[in-house]
Amino acid sequence: MTDVKQADPPAIEAQGLKVHFQTAAGLVRAVDGVDLTIPKGAFHGIVGESGCGKTTLARAIIGLQHATEGTVQINGRDRADWQKQDRKGFARAVQFIFQDPLGSMSRRQTVGQTLEEPLLIHSIGNASERKQRLAELLDLVALPATVLDRIPRSLSGGQRQRVSIARALALNPSLLICDEPLSALDVSVRAQIVNLFARLQAQLGLTIVIVAHDLAIVREVCSEVTVMYLGRVAEQGVTKPVFADPAHPYTQALLSAVPSPDPRIEAPRPRILLAGDPPSPRNPPPGCRFSTRCPVVEPQCRVTEPQLRPVAHSGQAACHLAAAESHAVI
Amino acid sequence: MKNWPWLILTPAIIFVLIGLFAPFLMTHDPTVQDYKAILSPASWSHWLGTDYLGRDMYSRIIGGARTSLVAMVFVLLAALVIGVVIGSFAGYVGGRTELVLISIIDIALALPSLIIALALIGVFSGASWSWMSDYWKMIIALTLAWWANYARMSRAVVVAELQQPYIEAARVMGASHMWIFTKHILPHVLGLVVVYASADAGALVLAIATLSFLGLGVAPPTPEWGQMLVDGMSYIEEFPSLVIIPGLALTAVVVSFNLLGEAFALQKVPKAVRGGLLRRKKATRAAEETARAATEAKV
Repeated sequence: MTDVKQADPPAIEAQGLKVHFQTAAGLVRAVDGVDLTIPKGAFHGIVGESGCGKTTLARAIIGLQHATEGTVQINGRDRADWQKQDRKGFARAVQFIFQDPLGSMSRRQTVGQTLEEPLLIHSIGNASERKQRLAELLDLVALPATVLDRIPRSLSGGQRQRVSIARALALNPSLLICDEPLSALDVSVRAQIVNLFARLQAQLGLTIVIVAHDLAIVREVCSEVTVMYLGRVAEQGVTKPVFADPAHPYTQALLSAVPSPDPRIEAPRPRILLAGDPPSPRNPPPGCRFSTRCPVVEPQCRVTEPQLRPVAHSGQAACHLAAAESHAVI
Repeated sequence: MKNWPWLILTPAIIFVLIGLFAPFLMTHDPTVQDYKAILSPASWSHWLGTDYLGRDMYSRIIGGARTSLVAMVFVLLAALVIGVVIGSFAGYVGGRTELVLISIIDIALALPSLIIALALIGVFSGASWSWMSDYWKMIIALTLAWWANYARMSRAVVVAELQQPYIEAARVMGASHMWIFTKHILPHVLGLVVVYASADAGALVLAIATLSFLGLGVAPPTPEWGQMLVDGMSYIEEFPSLVIIPGLALTAVVVSFNLLGEAFALQKVPKAVRGGLLRRKKATRAAEETARAATEAKV
């Protein structure tokens, strides 16, 4: 994480990133001051409930969303400058996987044409080399060669997501950002795709950032995790210690909402139930953003906004009650 | 294409073929006047009779088909190109440019295209335009009256397509605007616009005839259906065929192109389903049939 100094620049370094939307009802602070450092080779999960800004954050990192404030450095280069100077070079380094695989492919193209497109855009290889590359890509995502002549609509959900992963890998990127790549899939297929991500990361040495709201999956595959709440980072750190000993009350509540498949564990398990909905990002509460729903809220939480600081699991949390040695336990 | 109503294509194809091969189909020179055979009825030498100047009606109908076809193709192509370019540009660029272009398109659409064409021909009749023949004045006036619809449609398609997530995906892959436009958006635009144009062709033939009828289009000696209607009007009591024949020809062309447009609109088949996939589907279906027949035979 941030305290580990590396000679190699981190894959992603976001500083003070803000994305605000001007709407008819007022200013929506979808992402409101996020600092994020993701080292190369990490498998990073961004979690949080719907509307907390995780997708907007992912889109802002790759430049699909204009950032109101703050900078993003990718592989040590300023993202905005890099895209302005060399958008093809940027595309070869960083790729994005969309939530809806079908929507992210042209309905006029076959799978073969879809996969070939990035190679054509970057004028890579001749016809036979491209054909060979397509075969490699299909092999990588475990799809049969017969899908090449089909149209994306005729594929199953899992196959579609495999195609979109294969397309993202066509340019050999070092960084892959995935916006909820699993939420459109049913549970059994989700497991296959998760395993595919894990295998690809090991096989190709990718840095993967995955936006998810399924904590079980993050626990399974991600080496590190960022928990977001209402446009800000609530807690971040290495997955195992964060999940074993969460410092932020929100993370604790989120984790307690994950059911255990074993009824002997599930039945007596204490669960934290949060009251109410998250406040509107149009009008965040003063002080800690979680203070309106926090079960262990203290007077100071409603006044001063907590900053990210080191906590017991060697990650960071934005909570007044979480100290390096001890933290609030609900 | 299975289920494609091939029959509907026939009248339109016949019109195009007649237009293309008109010189070979005509029995007489359609401009030559024969005062010995004025207003003669149908006979072996004049299949559809002659008009008030003794010109062969059959040859004039055929020649009129050619005049209409050539003018229609010119206007349609020019209007399509102008419309697609302006409309796509407006939709793709957006912002203030789009607003300005849309206002121009809306103004052009608010006025009936025939009125615009008439006004433009009026403008072109000035001395400074005398180098241009009446025929080209009509073509240009109609083009300027006709492009707005194509621009409006092109813009609508471009705006709708730009919102699709796959456009974003293409941007992420490093595609340039030119790439996205030509590879992803233009095919959609052309798909719609060409279908519309096929139905529009009939209306355009009618507009060309209308302008000639009003004496503003094709100059008299050239055979033209609208012109023939005017010529025949004075004799409508005694020789109604002089009006009925060109009228029928015009009606047939309008109806045939409308049918064609309708058929296109109903039968839009996604590209990937044509060709290979369809053949394979047919093959598997045939294989299933034979397999079923074989099992039934065994039973």
